[in-house]
Amino acid sequence: LQPPEKPLQAEEWNKLREDFQLPQIFEEVMLNSMIRCNSPIDVAKSLLTHVAKRNGDIAYNVLVKYLTLCVQQGQVSEICDVYDIMKVRFKILESGAYNLLVKGLSNSDQWRMALTLLEEIKKIMIPSRTCYESCIKAASRHQEMKVAFELYKEMLAKDVVPTLEVLQSFFNFSRGMKDAELQKELFGILLYLRENQIYPHKTFMRSIKLWFESIPGGNWKGRMTKIEDSGQCPVCKHQLEDSNLTEEEYSNLSERIIRDVIHGTDTFRKTSPKEFEAFQTFVENRLPFDIVIDGLNVSHIKSRKMQCQNLFDAVNSLAKDNARLLVLGRKHMLMNSSNWKKEIMKEMQNKADFFFAENISEDDAFLLYATLRSGKHCRFVTRDFLRDHKACLSDSLTRHLFRKWQRGHQIIFSSVFSQQPAFRYDCVVQTTGDTWHIPYKDVFEEKYSYQVPRKWLCIQQKL
Amino acid sequence: MQCAKMLLRKIVRSSVLPFAAQHGMKKDLFPLSRTLSLSLCLKQDKSCEPSEKLDLDEWKKVMKSGLQEEVTETVSEPKELSGLAAARETLEMWRLAGKAVPENISEEQLKTFMECPSKSAKKKYLRYLHVKELHKKSEKRKMAEKRERRLEAQDQASNTDETKKSSFICLWSSTMDKAYNWRAAQSMIFGQPLVFDMSYEKEMTLREVTNTVRQIVMSESCNRRSVDPFHIHFCNFKDDSLYHREFIKQYREAWGKLLITVTDQCYTEIFPKEKLIYLTADSPKVMKTFDHDKIYIVGSMVDKSIKTGVSLARAKRLGLETAALPLEKYLLWSAGAKNLTLDQMMHILLTLKDTADWKKALEFVPKRKYCGFVNKPVQELKKTLDLINTFKLGKGREGAEKQFAKNHPKK
Repeated sequence: LQPPEKPLQAEEWNKLREDFQLPQIFEEVMLNSMIRCNSPIDVAKSLLTHVAKRNGDIAYNVLVKYLTLCVQQGQVSEICDVYDIMKVRFKILESGAYNLLVKGLSNSDQWRMALTLLEEIKKIMIPSRTCYESCIKAASRHQEMKVAFELYKEMLAKDVVPTLEVLQSFFNFSRGMKDAELQKELFGILLYLRENQIYPHKTFMRSIKLWFESIPGGNWKGRMTKIEDSGQCPVCKHQLEDSNLTEEEYSNLSERIIRDVIHGTDTFRKTSPKEFEAFQTFVENRLPFDIVIDGLNVSHIKSRKMQCQNLFDAVNSLAKDNARLLVLGRKHMLMNSSNWKKEIMKEMQNKADFFFAENISEDDAFLLYATLRSGKHCRFVTRDFLRDHKACLSDSLTRHLFRKWQRGHQIIFSSVFSQQPAFRYDCVVQTTGDTWHIPYKDVFEEKYSYQVPRKWLCIQQKL
Repeated sequence: MQCAKMLLRKIVRSSVLPFAAQHGMKKDLFPLSRTLSLSLCLKQDKSCEPSEKLDLDEWKKVMKSGLQEEVTETVSEPKELSGLAAARETLEMWRLAGKAVPENISEEQLKTFMECPSKSAKKKYLRYLHVKELHKKSEKRKMAEKRERRLEAQDQASNTDETKKSSFICLWSSTMDKAYNWRAAQSMIFGQPLVFDMSYEKEMTLREVTNTVRQIVMSESCNRRSVDPFHIHFCNFKDDSLYHREFIKQYREAWGKLLITVTDQCYTEIFPKEKLIYLTADSPKVMKTFDHDKIYIVGSMVDKSIKTGVSLARAKRLGLETAALPLEKYLLWSAGAKNLTLDQMMHILLTLKDTADWKKALEFVPKRKYCGFVNKPVQELKKTLDLINTFKLGKGREGAEKQFAKNHPKK
């Protein structure tokens, strides 16, 4: 349905409407295509006039469609008019119309009206994140940073997750301002990124860099870099935080893994209390291990090779330097079969400790437990991303701890049999006061949750 | 609710009336001017702008014209809305905006709606109510049509006035019911027990419990109609539980007259342990034949969020034997979870009991879940499938294997 280019008379609209297959929804469809084609609002107005004359009333959804068109074209006075009409006509509005109104007004000189509108929305519902986004951006665009930060804090208090754009706008609009209070707030945003393990994208990183460098008398200098495997920053020679958890975090995580992952709602789902007890005593008697291996996972690395041969190769390559190994497997591995040869299994058992779980038990949970019990130095080998186990943890804080610990302790064998070492340093926003290190993503969206960015922004204060 | 509706009606009326009056007044003048303008247009060049005479903001006037009286009305209305009323108001606005929202909503449903923990949960719940309402409406419409047709047919029949004589007695449904009940009663003495394990209430949401109960009701009815019914046991059944309340909602007074055994005892207390087999899709053991001496247990649970291993855990805890249907062996599985609904299970078990024919029994697995029955050994089929895939992808066999290993890192 092609919208007309010029406003039409009532008769012409009538004719178009009658030619349409479903006259009841003609206005809606027509306005939709006007929005798509960005038609002049005069055309839409003539349609509304026609509808108003015919019915003596215009339905709410048609008004909202018209509002969308006005917002799209930034027709502020029209937006205000529609709002006036809606306000008197309906007791309250729904979120769609509110979002449009706030968005439309915040982009104009009437932006303060958007703020009052936000107050009105709050009386009825929790405003959406886009509502907050529009208001915060409008306030910071007009250098009302205090208002913007108030809204931002309110947002966090209501568990509305701010978009990266909101955070970025704070840095964009605070450039060149000398205000200690403001500086503290912006550092707070960086710490928010740290706590939630959010990585800014490239343009956001630039905003951060430019803001730092614009602080009058701050003497900040930012450089893009890559961190060495040792965890040292090549620019400022600073050693990054290591990936170890603190004592408290560590014991917290171990406790939660046992409670949520291994036991969950029912210990019988993943193992049985008897088996778990047997495993616990087994582990306690042989502690500590250096490397815990997921036997079945490793045995599938090369599909053309015999499974036990794969495991044997892995154990051999890890058994150097007197490392104490624990291999977790299932009982069926002990049955002599085409894939599991008894002799090789015997030979392996001389080099490493083995624990065989029931065939229907989940060995991953045991893997986590044994590694955590062995202490901070212990690492584990599996290609599994352990996402299902992470999902068992009930709160996001523990999930973050788990990801951090996993990054630092998981060794991944790729099929060419080279090890990908665990990260030695922690991949989060970090500071020492006179330096900031901020990992960032090249692309806008990070595709996989297990991938961490390799590029960093190093910011240094030269005093 | 009533008050809000009234108000709405008033608004609509008040905004229509003044316009009509206005229109009526103009009517006398309008036709003349229109013909004039049209003829002018015709005479002049086509490029003449008809829009020049269009008052583009007229719609605003129309919208506002009705408002004067209305403002005085809303002033008397209390400004602040209470929780429930506000929720109702929001719903109404969503409905006006064209979202999937039911037209009528009861107090109870409104409360459930408000208790939804998130926006998406609220949306989902409303959508569910909306679809339910649509179904109800179309059902009502169909019923009305049917009634009409029947009346017409009756009219015609009375016109022809033909009296049928038949040597058979007409079997009314009550007679059939008696026959069915007789069979069910016999099964309660001699029939093979079939246990529904009613201990999953905690694992389910309210809607899942409702679905479970509906599925059990269907299972029970198809069992009752079968030639040789099972003796159904509801075990671990707690009085006044959600299950119980839902059953009463479904069966009403028939609940007390059902020919089944309902007990709060566990099956392990009623039957010898070695005779019990827990049916669960997670079981590592595959059922080969239907055993007439065993007592099969079906977990009364609908898990929309796919909670793996819940019923297997229960069987493990009690040390019971478990079994899964041999779906893989007989069907080329294509999509969907291997867990079946309770009534499908009942159909399958009844057919197995009567015929011991797996093919016939597995006809009750929904067709969308499988491509067809396996007529060759599975191994051979897989080989041909692999071959086709390797040709399709144009890769060597190695490539295909790698792909496979990637998709299944662990057996």
